Amino acid sequence: MDLHRIWLTLLALTAATTALSFGSGAVVAAGLVALAFLKARAIMSGFLHLDRAPEWRTAFTLPLALWLVLIWGLYAL
Amino acid sequence: MRIQDLPGEPVIWVLIASELLVFAAAATAMAAVRLTDPAGFAAAQSQLHGWMAALNTAILVTSGFCAALAERACRRGDRRRARMTLALAALGGVGFLAVKIAEYAADLRAGLGLETHPFFTFYYLITGFHAAHVLFGIGVLALVAIRLRAEEVQAGAAFWHMVDLVWVLILPPVYLLG
Repeated sequence: MDLHRIWLTLLALTAATTALSFGSGAVVAAGLVALAFLKARAIMSGFLHLDRAPEWRTAFTLPLALWLVLIWGLYAL
Repeated sequence: MRIQDLPGEPVIWVLIASELLVFAAAATAMAAVRLTDPAGFAAAQSQLHGWMAALNTAILVTSGFCAALAERACRRGDRRRARMTLALAALGGVGFLAVKIAEYAADLRAGLGLETHPFFTFYYLITGFHAAHVLFGIGVLALVAIRLRAEEVQAGAAFWHMVDLVWVLILPPVYLLG
């Protein structure tokens, strides 16, 4: 994967997070958590090279996704 | 799924997984304690400087990009470019810490200490422990820049990406989800 594209994607996701952080409510919180997941996945796939090991990527990203859902649930309660 | 399919040294992945677990446990504890006082946590969180966290995210992902470039340059045998990009990655870490110190100083000037509210106890512990990893990571980048062996640079860069990864994951519970 092209490193420049990953970097620009991460900056775009950071900008989207900043823009969304001005909102409030459960839907906005879900968006913020989803953006965090996308950033984490980009770092793991692109910078940590897990795109070369898709099964291991799933092994790392699935628990992360479930944890982020848990965090969202705790804040949405 | 075989252990040898993992990129780089398997031990670095054990470290990454264990660090993720530690920070996830701390952030989950914070979210759980928040349930006892949601309004207090939201009021406390609103006093943080979110723009500094956003700036630090941009700094850290850019620094991670430099570490990834260093890893690639080292693999290609371009030692000069590898050293330069490792130095830029470490400089990003120094920039991150400078912003973090400025943020802590502003918090403390506003009277927001470790015991002001349970939120700030978690805030200082989680972000402080992360900052300690950034400081350690700068040292790791400096060390791997001395010998510039490809496998060592990859391990150093992986540690740095883990620091980056932890930051983007602790950002929502600490700064964003009120």
